[in-house]
Amino acid sequence: MKSPFSAKDQPADTKAEDALAQEAEVELTRSEKLAKHSKKAAHHGAEGGKDLAGWVDTRTNSSGIFTAMMSRHVPKGTNWFYTLGSATMFIFAMQAITGVFLAMYYTPSATQAYASITHLTNEVFLGEFVRGLHKWGASLMIILIFLHMARTFFFGAYKYPRELNWVIGVVLLVLTMVMGLTGYLLPFDQRSFWATIVANNITASGPVVGPYLADFLRAGPDFSATTLSRFYALHMLVVPGLMAALIGAHLFLVVKLGTTAPPWVRMARPKHARPTETVAAGVATADVADVPVADERAEETEAPAEDESDSGEQASS
Amino acid sequence: MNNREKEDYLREYEQLKKKGKPFFPYAIMKDSVMFCVVAAVLIIMSLVLGAEQGPKADPTTTTYTPRPEWYFFFLFELLRVIKPPALTPIATVGIPTICMVLLLILPFIDRNAERIPWRRPIASFTAVLIIIAMAYLTYLGATGGSPTEIELETNPKYEQGKQIVAQSGCLACHAIGENGAEGGLGPELTEIGATLPRVAIRQSLIAGPGIMPSFEGLGEEDINAVADYLASLD
Repeated sequence: MKSPFSAKDQPADTKAEDALAQEAEVELTRSEKLAKHSKKAAHHGAEGGKDLAGWVDTRTNSSGIFTAMMSRHVPKGTNWFYTLGSATMFIFAMQAITGVFLAMYYTPSATQAYASITHLTNEVFLGEFVRGLHKWGASLMIILIFLHMARTFFFGAYKYPRELNWVIGVVLLVLTMVMGLTGYLLPFDQRSFWATIVANNITASGPVVGPYLADFLRAGPDFSATTLSRFYALHMLVVPGLMAALIGAHLFLVVKLGTTAPPWVRMARPKHARPTETVAAGVATADVADVPVADERAEETEAPAEDESDSGEQASS
Repeated sequence: MNNREKEDYLREYEQLKKKGKPFFPYAIMKDSVMFCVVAAVLIIMSLVLGAEQGPKADPTTTTYTPRPEWYFFFLFELLRVIKPPALTPIATVGIPTICMVLLLILPFIDRNAERIPWRRPIASFTAVLIIIAMAYLTYLGATGGSPTEIELETNPKYEQGKQIVAQSGCLACHAIGENGAEGGLGPELTEIGATLPRVAIRQSLIAGPGIMPSFEGLGEEDINAVADYLASLD
């Protein structure tokens, strides 16, 4: 029992373990200590203060928030239509990941853009596949957004108290279309070039701000080399940043207000419903007890994202 | 919605939530299945449809088709409805902007407490109409191709100009006789010579009035040939 390893594996009580740990610290190197702490975190996450996970948790309450999010109830009648929003977010994440890999090979200059796409498409391992994912991902994202919006509309889910989330969603739709427009120019082939010229002329035909907005997009009165880099900056920095922030706000409100039930799913209403239950919708902390907490779940939900980036790295090598 | 209806809604929602299932694992499971379906569709689309590269962008080109991504077709086709050039800004900017603003403030326009779609017929009917209209306009945009042939009889003198018009993508927006985009983005050119003198046609080709791109890149000789041909149409 004097060995630090047995103490770590079978924690009898915290005090004894602390003593053992201190003793062990003399001998252990820094990296060994870290490894030991992360193992301990699995057992003592809730106690905090002693290990990294606990240290973070006492300052952020992240495990509490996570548990509340996972164990919050979705209302009775929740069906497959309710997966359209998260599917849209999934596509956005895919676009971000594939976009990063495209950016690694793309040269945003009027003279080299086309050649860099040719190189990416024909010579880079899985280059055309990743470009295809990004190109068709844009179309799928638009389709999913419209389906998600139709669901929200026909289920009356934009009504009180979720009006603000509808507004954020419409802004996200517009930004997604801006992404489609700015991204269309980047391959710099005939189609994208001339479509962008017409789109810009359309912008210029708008009243009051139209001409100025068109000049801003073109970076001058005429289409020039700067136009392409301007579209590139908008496409991969400005608009995605805005979208990520708004998706965050959208999700925050979804968790805070809860998703709607299908409008035709009603409670059999007893005449003497308890009036105390007229609570503002919020994170259902009362429901937390229903579900056992397990840290592995965090790993489970994060694992797919890691896999994607792994395969993406292979794709680009 | 008045305060009473708001309270009723929140009360019932709280009960429905109690009757519901926890987000994990039930909603997570559905979402994950959906992710897999979306990922599979995307991978198949990428493998089957690929990502072909068109010819390199060339501002001095004579052949191109200005076509947007398919989800902008309905916006482009809106111009069919409004033809006079003076009203073009209404179709290009006005109507889309108004629609977007209406969409944005929808929750503040429709404050009816009813949520079941068949019990709010006006909202549902409007939505269905808009969806059908958008689908129809998208369909028109997708099928309205840009042929590179003009069947209208011409004096052989103007044959060169006719060929350039056919190959320069004019028909993507304009109609000439039976060919081209009938009621498309730009005005019909079948009888353009009767309404515009040759000088004005030539000027339009160079300046690119309104949303039309400039065709200055064709070069002096070709522009003159095109202007000769178009002025002969009456």
